[in-house]
Amino acid sequence: MHAVDMSQGRRGRADTSVLYIFFKFIVFSIIFFVCAILLFQVLLLQNTQALVCAVSSVQSQLLTTHMALGVLLTNRQYRSMPTHGIGKYRHLLPKALPKKKKDRVQVKQIKAATATEFGVFNVCVSGYDMTLVEHYSQYIHNLCNHLDIKVDESYALPTKSTEVMLMQEQGTKMYLDAVLKTHERIVQISEMKATLFPIFMDVVLKNQPEGVRFCVKQHSETDFQARFKTRPELEGLLAKINN
Amino acid sequence: MAAPFSRVYRPLWRIITTSALNRGVRNVSSSRQQWSAQNVKPAGAASPWALHGAVCLQRLPAVSQDRSPIEEEFMELMHQMELERSLLSDHELRLLEDAARMSRKQEEDYDSDEEEEDYRDKEIVTAQDLEDIWEQKLKQFQPAPRSQAVDEKDVSSSERCLADSLILLVKKHVGSQKLWLLPQIQWQTGETLRQTAERALASLPGADLTATFLGNAPCGFYKYKYPKDIQKEGSVGAKVFFFKAVLPSHKHLPLEKNSFAWVKKEELQDFLKPEYLKQVRRFIMAL
Repeated sequence: MHAVDMSQGRRGRADTSVLYIFFKFIVFSIIFFVCAILLFQVLLLQNTQALVCAVSSVQSQLLTTHMALGVLLTNRQYRSMPTHGIGKYRHLLPKALPKKKKDRVQVKQIKAATATEFGVFNVCVSGYDMTLVEHYSQYIHNLCNHLDIKVDESYALPTKSTEVMLMQEQGTKMYLDAVLKTHERIVQISEMKATLFPIFMDVVLKNQPEGVRFCVKQHSETDFQARFKTRPELEGLLAKINN
Repeated sequence: MAAPFSRVYRPLWRIITTSALNRGVRNVSSSRQQWSAQNVKPAGAASPWALHGAVCLQRLPAVSQDRSPIEEEFMELMHQMELERSLLSDHELRLLEDAARMSRKQEEDYDSDEEEEDYRDKEIVTAQDLEDIWEQKLKQFQPAPRSQAVDEKDVSSSERCLADSLILLVKKHVGSQKLWLLPQIQWQTGETLRQTAERALASLPGADLTATFLGNAPCGFYKYKYPKDIQKEGSVGAKVFFFKAVLPSHKHLPLEKNSFAWVKKEELQDFLKPEYLKQVRRFIMAL
């Protein structure tokens, strides 16, 4: 017997109508729970929405048919609220890949010079006094930033120690007199216009401090490889393999 | 190159970009000449302007500039602050230890066996002795003088004003007059303007200067008309392109007094004509 028919007819007798209403309620709740269980089993299928529609049409209740699929996966009870899911943004962000281990640094393509622009070149600043060398290289870097010259990299080469040995006055033995440390800083510049270069060089040369050596060199593959540490055991094994 | 330099010419940037780049940078690809073709007459018709290449030879400063009083005070303050914040070095620690050991030795209850574990060799040469030796060496060291014993007003010597950059000027016969100019020479067909400038430098009489040119692009430009009586159909005036070159500050032989001058930027106005000076000043940088 359909519940709807029952509600339309037989309005006269009060006691049986209460019973019928109670019976109707039980039937509705049973159907609701059965459908809910079915829904939870059929989670990510495409016809979930159709099922929802079917359930809603059977029960004549307003289930939220126009909400996103993800809603049905939750166990929140107030899915009917219009503001349900407000503030969610994780589904809008691009997928974050798992962080992979750093690969070996690749050699960057060295740009060649064109008719109006230089290629990649290194400005090397070296000297014994570290404060002067560093401040001078910082000055060059800031000048490039100010003149909108593209600075690819700005790095330091390892410090080289020079031991100054002097002969003793009486005798032939050499003794250690001093240790001089040579510091070197490199500013790598690319795509500099040929018309700007004389001006840049003029400024930099006039501001060169005493005791600091300054030179401009073309960047090459060997310069890039010189920064890496050698791996003697690897090279030994490679030599053995080749031999 | 006579007196009336009265012509008003186009702004410098336009001149540089249109005429300088096609003429100055000879070794360009053909694609660049296509866009410049509209601005340059076809190769057959000769221009009424004679081209000259000039060199702006600069002697770089050899020493840093002197500090102003405020800078001196600030430097002393920074030194003082650094000193107060610093930690003792190994040598200073050794000095203190030696002094403490000395004072301990003078006391009545000095027990030499307790002390002498690893101090045996250090007692021979103490830190104080080392310091004395170093001071002696420092007294023997003579740093190079900050200014050579040259009269500052003598413009023919390149040793003057070691803290500033100097520019070479030559006195040349121009028409009927003798004028102070940057060294320049006429351009010949088939060479780049930079080669012209190099030739101008090499052709200076009595000067054996090998300089480094800073680039292929000219740094400045000056245009002037010949006086009316010299002007013919084919020649209206001359255009001069300046190239920058740098002379490292080693010792140079003094040059002839009346025909060469090494001047600072402030002194240029005493030597050059006003119109010429106006153009030259634009590309000379003084610290």
